[in-house]
Amino acid sequence: MLGKLLKYEWKGLRFPFLIMLIVLAGTTALTCGVIFTINPKFDETIVGYSVMALMLSILLYYFGIIGCSLGTMLIVVIRFYKTCYTDQGYLTHTLPVSTKQLLNTKIFAAVIANLMMVLAIGFSILIIIQMGLHHAFSFMPEFTYDEFYTMCVEGFSYAFRDFEEELGISFGLYITYLIAYFIIGLIANIVTVFGCVSLGQLFTKHRIVGAIAAYFIVQFILQILGYFTAIPMYSRMLKGTYMEDATVFGVMSPTMNLTLLTVVIVAIIMYFINLHMMTKKLNLE
Amino acid sequence: MNENNSIAYTQSNDTQSENILNTSVYSSENTVNEQNIQTQNNLVKSEENVLNIPINLQKNLVQDESLQSDNTQQDSVYIQNTYAVNTPLLQLNDLCKRYPGMGNYMSVFHMNLTILRGRIIGLLGPNGCGKTTLIKMINGLLAPTCGTVLINGMEPCPATKKVISYLPERTYLDNGMKVSQMVEYFADFYEDFSTEKAYSMLGVLGISSDARLKTLSKGTKEKVQLILVMSRQADLYILDEPIAGVDPAARDYILRTIITNYNPGSTIILSTHLISDIENILDDVIFMKNGSLMLYTSVDSIRSQMGKSVDTYFREVYAC
Repeated sequence: MLGKLLKYEWKGLRFPFLIMLIVLAGTTALTCGVIFTINPKFDETIVGYSVMALMLSILLYYFGIIGCSLGTMLIVVIRFYKTCYTDQGYLTHTLPVSTKQLLNTKIFAAVIANLMMVLAIGFSILIIIQMGLHHAFSFMPEFTYDEFYTMCVEGFSYAFRDFEEELGISFGLYITYLIAYFIIGLIANIVTVFGCVSLGQLFTKHRIVGAIAAYFIVQFILQILGYFTAIPMYSRMLKGTYMEDATVFGVMSPTMNLTLLTVVIVAIIMYFINLHMMTKKLNLE
Repeated sequence: MNENNSIAYTQSNDTQSENILNTSVYSSENTVNEQNIQTQNNLVKSEENVLNIPINLQKNLVQDESLQSDNTQQDSVYIQNTYAVNTPLLQLNDLCKRYPGMGNYMSVFHMNLTILRGRIIGLLGPNGCGKTTLIKMINGLLAPTCGTVLINGMEPCPATKKVISYLPERTYLDNGMKVSQMVEYFADFYEDFSTEKAYSMLGVLGISSDARLKTLSKGTKEKVQLILVMSRQADLYILDEPIAGVDPAARDYILRTIITNYNPGSTIILSTHLISDIENILDDVIFMKNGSLMLYTSVDSIRSQMGKSVDTYFREVYAC
């Protein structure tokens, strides 16, 4: 049954998700187009335009990826709301599946959609870098791509060595840590947002406003908790001024871990709130 | 009320308001419950016209026929012959529902009811009497404030949802999907769903399976929903206002669909205001008022002993 739920969840998400991908592709193409108008020779007549075009392309792309990330989150949240708490809920909640299965499927599909968007954004960044380099090299015929690649490899090897010295953790391990941090944070964020949508159902006359209010309250609580979780970082920063072996990761990691822990705890609470709202407090219009 | 009427209503208590009625149609048990409920009804609602009858469990008829009146004995024999060996399909035990923000008012008030297999039952009552609330609780869409709902002996869960085919009064289909995709959806989730039957009914009603639901009229969507629901071989069909939104010409087809497509071992609970349209297909009726069960009897009993159609009787009982 879980497979079937996932199949229909994905079917419901794929069309709006595709629109988001098209928006991302459009933003990437537009950004590349703006980059191609930049003249790196900086002659006097077009220097102003080149700088402006560079800034425009960065801004355009920045807002594009923010829009796509938020859009994807919005898509999964709207689908959760529509299928669980509007008229479609009559069908969703009378399927021969448990509430836990329903909720887990929706969380899983939402996480996959968001991860796919992140991968798509990563891919588009690579395209833009590639296009930018291609455009830059077109103005430097004496400089080949292979030479640039060798330079990059040398540069990065120095950077990686310094990275470990500075941060106290190897680059690979740090990237693994960040990816795990991101995925756990993403799951927790989705569960929390779904929980806020569910909490909004308590306000039978203003369900959406209630959900938004619940989201802001939860974020406010997380901010307050954030002040406490930052204490280890500040104390280590103070200590670090007197300690020679202090590393950036050593100073930052306890706060990062504590922040993640609070987010996960809030998400676990929200998961059970979701289950409670979908079973004991369900009240479809 | 007709005091000579042997089926139904006699005024029970001088202290109660004028129209508080007792009935003992399918059983005469629960005297204590009856008193409790009436007392609570007076406390909670304290309004005239509270029709408040805890009714019966047919198993009690079988167990203690001596308690029945002559007429009820006939009913009990009739029930006993047919269903004594069956376990109850649906049981409501002291079921209540109070919505938040409605004070002490209970939308469903201490309801006891047992429904066996093989019946077509009309769930009737005026607007706001608790029919939809009751249906939602049976389907697990609302949690009771107190009491239990048992379907095949189980509280609402995935196993009970497998055996209930529910048609809500709302359009619950995904507008972005095609009719054929909805058929596939039902076939995927419900083992008892017959794709052939669904396509056959869609064909008869001239509904294209390639049409997207958002392109269909409200009435056509309701027909599609009904087809999907009736294409299952469920134990219990719960149809909330199945003919309210369709044209009179289609009503006949829908009612024929209901009769011809349900499994004789199944039970249909049909909630509607259009009593005259459906009374010919009903075996039993349940009358509800102010969240309480007022009457649960067979249509034949109303016709033979009251000499009235269910529609006429309903109008009399609920006259404003």
